[in-house]
Amino acid sequence: MSEVVILGVGMIPFGRHPQKLLVEMAAEAARAALKDAAVEPGEVGAGFFSNGLAARLFSDHTIGQNVYWEVGINRIPIYNIENACTSASTAFCLACGQVAAGQVEVAMVVGAEKMYVPELGLIHSGQSELDTQLGLVAPAGFALRAKRHMAEFGTTEAQLAAVAVKNRRHAALNPNAQFRDPITPEDVLSAPMVVDPLTRLQCCPNADGAAAVVLASADFARWRRGASRGKVRPVDVRAAVYCTGSYANPQDLTHWETDERGCRLAYEAAGVGPEDLNVVECHDAFTISEILHYEALGLCPAGEGGRLAEAGETALGGRIPVNPSGGLLSRGHPPGATGAAQLCEIVAQLRGEAGPRQVPGARVGLAHCMGGDKAADSKSCTVVVLSV
Amino acid sequence: MSETTELKHATLVTEGIVTGYEDGSRPRLVGGYCPDCARWYFPCPSYCRSCLEPVQAADLGGEGKLHAFTVIRMRPPLGLPQPYAVGYVDLKESGLRVFCLLDPSAIDRYRLDMPLRLTVSVLGHDGSGQPCLRPYFSPGDHHEDAEKETDTGGGEVRDE
Ligand SMILES: [Zn+2]
Repeated sequence: MSEVVILGVGMIPFGRHPQKLLVEMAAEAARAALKDAAVEPGEVGAGFFSNGLAARLFSDHTIGQNVYWEVGINRIPIYNIENACTSASTAFCLACGQVAAGQVEVAMVVGAEKMYVPELGLIHSGQSELDTQLGLVAPAGFALRAKRHMAEFGTTEAQLAAVAVKNRRHAALNPNAQFRDPITPEDVLSAPMVVDPLTRLQCCPNADGAAAVVLASADFARWRRGASRGKVRPVDVRAAVYCTGSYANPQDLTHWETDERGCRLAYEAAGVGPEDLNVVECHDAFTISEILHYEALGLCPAGEGGRLAEAGETALGGRIPVNPSGGLLSRGHPPGATGAAQLCEIVAQLRGEAGPRQVPGARVGLAHCMGGDKAADSKSCTVVVLSV
Repeated sequence: MSETTELKHATLVTEGIVTGYEDGSRPRLVGGYCPDCARWYFPCPSYCRSCLEPVQAADLGGEGKLHAFTVIRMRPPLGLPQPYAVGYVDLKESGLRVFCLLDPSAIDRYRLDMPLRLTVSVLGHDGSGQPCLRPYFSPGDHHEDAEKETDTGGGEVRDE
């Protein structure tokens, strides 16, 4: 994958945008990414638009064409992608494939979601699924993993809380994050219980948001970088892996095979290992998720994720900072946009543009996303490795 | 409403997933088994995912062991009680690990690896407000125990 680069990124702050339509939010992020990449609308050869909920909430369809035309992009193939929480990162993997195959020189991903609407209701894995009919709500699947992790490895409520506190501390340094006021472990543990042992501050909040990424071939990027006199700063895509669940039965709730497989495939494709990473954005939909992802990513041995968080090793200034953006837990989680927002953060870190939350000298970064529940497994896992 | 009238009037959450509850005998989950692939399923698919041949319905029994459980305290969907409990249950005969509701009247009694047995009773509604029969697991080894107990759950949603 060394032949594909990210040329530009853009996003709008995640939070409440009651005055903006979905298309307007998406177009704002798209414009920012095109300007960052110094790419003209007419140079984009393929466009991907990702969204999770608009079909259900607004009865809107084929929104991508509307979004791209707002930024002057027409005539080219536009793909509309829905893949739960991994919608944007799945779109990114597809776009990478097209550029790597030489089908287009420049491709673009725009992800957007509007969630602060009265129609939202409960997020679940599909109304007609038996599990949904038997009361499986999204936090419950993760609470069950948390309870097993606590029983098998001695993971504590304080360790879970440490993840939420850390990500909020990071979010305080990120103007694009939704929740930026510091919280204490006591705040986390005394917040209303959602599903034992996960309190409200351990569950990612909804958000309106949009984020965009412009990709190009390495040749195009070299030419554009020269033409821009170095203003354009490409980041290499070392791996962009997408895999789906095994749905094997029984599932091991604490060794998440799909998660581990996605991470392993990405390391193999990128030719790096966990020890090479300088910064990670991972899918911290719940505090326990981040702990499980540490283990799947090999940032610590199996069962040690809680202790890794508690020791501060994944905080800014620690051995391997995770979710310097604030993560889903504090940036907010608009499913259609999250995967692209993670890439925005890793690109900023690798360019040295992350300001007060910069990981000094970061050269290799990883963005990890998971989405959808099925048969105690996840429907999708994407892992992207970037470097400069 | 007596228990029998209640059972007659409420619809099962999903057709074909339980048996043996209509006449008050021992409720069991119904899954599938492909003898060629020696593969168990719950719920029962029409066709085997290995050999793509039709799958036979199979009795998965009504007993299992609690692998994981939690209590859902947020506003419940589908008229389920607040709070309600769910878990993963390892079924005795097939070894399948299935997601299932747990008896909401026994929330304080769940322990990992404890034996459970299946009940089918009105629990919540079907999404449009009609009472709905759902399978759920309760603490206990033998189904006979259940018949001695007066309240097997359903909590405040139970229409008696
Ligand atoms: Zn078969």
